[in-house]
Amino acid sequence: MKDTVEAYWHWLCSSIAGDPGLLWRLVEQYKTPKGVFYAKEEELAMRFPGNPKRIAGLCAKRRDWDFEKESENLRRKGITFVSCEHPAYPKRLGVIPHKPGGLFVRGGLPEDEIPSVAIVGARACSVYGREAALWFGRELAGAGVQIISGMAAGIDGFGHQGALEAGGKTFGVLGGGVDICYPEFHRGLYMRLEREGGLLSEYPPGTRPMRYLFPLRNRLISGLSDRVIIIEAKAKSGSLITADLALEQGKDVYAVPGRIEDPLSAGCNNLIRQGAAIALSPEQILEELGINPQSGSENGKRGKIALEKAENIVYSCLGLQARNPEELSKAAGLPLAEVLRSLTGLELKGYAKEIYKNNYIRAL
Amino acid sequence: MFSSVYSAALNGLDAYLVRVEADISDGMPQLLMVGYLSSEVREAGDRVRTALRNTGIVLPPRRITVNLAPAGIRKAGSRFDLPVAAAILASLEKIPGDSLKNVMLTGELSLSGRVLPVPGILALAEAARDNGIHRCIVPEQNAAEGAVLDGMEVIGASSVAQLIELLRHPKEAACVRVDTDRLLREQSCSREADFSEINGQAMAKRAAEVAAAGMHNLLMIGPPGAGKTMIARRIAGILPPVTLEEALEMTKIYSVAGLLPENTSLLLGRPFRAPHHTVTAEALAGGGRIPSPGEISLSSGGILFLDEFPEFKRNALEILRQPLEERRVCISRTAGTYIFPAKCMLVAAMNPCACGHFPDRSRCTCTEGEVSRYLGKISRPLLDRIDICTEVPGISYEELTGKQENESSASIRKRVEAAHRMQQERYEGLPVRFNAYLNGSQTELYCPLGKKEKNLLKNVFGKLNLSARAYYKIIKTARTIADLEQEKRILEQHLLEAVRYRLPDGTYWGKGV
Repeated sequence: MKDTVEAYWHWLCSSIAGDPGLLWRLVEQYKTPKGVFYAKEEELAMRFPGNPKRIAGLCAKRRDWDFEKESENLRRKGITFVSCEHPAYPKRLGVIPHKPGGLFVRGGLPEDEIPSVAIVGARACSVYGREAALWFGRELAGAGVQIISGMAAGIDGFGHQGALEAGGKTFGVLGGGVDICYPEFHRGLYMRLEREGGLLSEYPPGTRPMRYLFPLRNRLISGLSDRVIIIEAKAKSGSLITADLALEQGKDVYAVPGRIEDPLSAGCNNLIRQGAAIALSPEQILEELGINPQSGSENGKRGKIALEKAENIVYSCLGLQARNPEELSKAAGLPLAEVLRSLTGLELKGYAKEIYKNNYIRAL
Repeated sequence: MFSSVYSAALNGLDAYLVRVEADISDGMPQLLMVGYLSSEVREAGDRVRTALRNTGIVLPPRRITVNLAPAGIRKAGSRFDLPVAAAILASLEKIPGDSLKNVMLTGELSLSGRVLPVPGILALAEAARDNGIHRCIVPEQNAAEGAVLDGMEVIGASSVAQLIELLRHPKEAACVRVDTDRLLREQSCSREADFSEINGQAMAKRAAEVAAAGMHNLLMIGPPGAGKTMIARRIAGILPPVTLEEALEMTKIYSVAGLLPENTSLLLGRPFRAPHHTVTAEALAGGGRIPSPGEISLSSGGILFLDEFPEFKRNALEILRQPLEERRVCISRTAGTYIFPAKCMLVAAMNPCACGHFPDRSRCTCTEGEVSRYLGKISRPLLDRIDICTEVPGISYEELTGKQENESSASIRKRVEAAHRMQQERYEGLPVRFNAYLNGSQTELYCPLGKKEKNLLKNVFGKLNLSARAYYKIIKTARTIADLEQEKRILEQHLLEAVRYRLPDGTYWGKGV
């Protein structure tokens, strides 16, 4: 791999992580990464006086860079590097401002011809957000849409999870090295993403996930998607950065509406006020993507299962806001024991979900 | 002259007879106490000498030897003062020697000659009865306690002077009588906390009823101030009245622990113990050089309530595992193994997370990890011993202040009693008394399921990712629900309800993949 274009891109991307602006100014100056590699250190320092630390780092890295060893390292970790000149580089990313010079990938990359949708939102999400993320992820991926997200706790993770449940493709764009699972409790998800979709990052392996890297990462999430769905965001949320970036990149932004007094939905409701589209159901998104919602989807199948009378009444009292059996017993006008029995029946038939001890919602 | 009298010493909950011997002979004037004695027993000599003198009896300047047999077992406690005094009095021929035959004496002496109460009378009297002794002389304040034993004459002594009178004229001694039947009959009338005082919380009340009906351990999860403690306090009140056997055991435990109020004959009303979460493992399970019963034994026959369950020290909670399974506590010491009963129903309460508001995300500030770590503080094996779990949601103002008609404890108790009776009939002749005590194979044997019910459980097992333990718990709980309805067979409806009481697992706590 020595001396190939890819190898020089690999070096350049490994040397300046987290500053795509500088990367592109360097490439502009010297035409190719190879040009940057062979540029004189004094000249670099003179031409780019604003970033002495980065330039020094770049030069230090250059001195003991062993092309063979570095590519061998990547191979051993099961990571592939795809530069922006490589044919496999996602076309959607090619057009965004400050696109990454290359991507470090585990698993696969999203396909250019297949529609892709980003699902992002709050880390500390509510049950409402969680169920919505799972629902959108499941239904969209089930219809063949690629789901892009950031593998963060909360909405991101549930978006991925929903897609995996439907057996669809989903890709995680990480804010650190692609070999680092963050947050650690998403280890199971991390492993499934590698197998059943892909993990990608513009930062070299071993990069610790740092605060300032995440907003940069968000431009890839929106960049890789055709549409961005925001599910639950507080008034000042990182997801809103993704929304802004998506708008800059000319992507449609959807927000899932919430209750007006709910701080977790303040960001989403604000987006809607500013003119974002409202995401009311996966079918609506699919339609707007030009995909026919499959008739064999779960909602279609469900209508055929017969519900008992009491189950029907209890089901009609369930919603996405969790209710406990006592409230349901009052709302349905049924004795408590009967409500409990109906809930088990509904849960077994896939109509209700116990999201937390004695708290039930309607399964989407 | 040689004389001897019986007393008894405690060994855990049981007692064994001790023969107190006294001999007066020529030699250096002194009072010598032998027989592997701890220092408080050795001091009995000085107390007895002074108490006798203050009663008007001066010991002669001779060599008095007192021995406590069997000499091989270490004796502790202050309960040997009275028998030592009696033995010396008999040696001095102040009382007839044969008046001490077939009498068990116990009691502490004050220097003035008064007799002071001692703990563990019931156990001591029982040991005497088992050894064919049917007459006890005990401190006056303890007389009622010993008298509950059938076929035991118990006489209370208030001073050494009275003791001498008693022994000189044994025929005139007045025995204390206790009518245990009447006590047991009257017990159910006096209950303070009643379920009718709790507004709302129908779900938690139902779970408490089911738990009480099958003696299942119960876990309540809910935000602070929702009423978990109120409910726990009232569970003892819906259990059936205690039987004589249970009352005797409870009284014995409390008496040995020195917690029996004075002049109490029988402890009636089921215990409710709520140790603070800083309690040590020893205080919970019992311990000490000579072990005394811990909270789990003190709550035997009633409720052991552990509020703020995850805040308890890990080792303290882990020690509960074996007693909850075997319903007794075994404590081993070099001197022997001590066994205390632990037939309590465990009622645990906890907040859903550290801040207490999960899953209300607009108020809860915990991260997902923190929430799942909070439950993780309780070990899985311990949760496995809890059959029923329920949520106790926060209560609204309307519910709190509303004047509703709530069902009273007495009416709930009627159903629970009927369920207990059904279980007693079913488990006649078995060591198992309640559904909660069934093990896996017993569950298969006593809780058979029909074809329809088996299919339902198969469906539940697959859909809800049950463990084998959770599977049996659901069947046992369904059996109890059927018992509450006086239904001989477990039907679908019982299983469907029982599923709702299962314990939360990882997925409930907002944890993702």
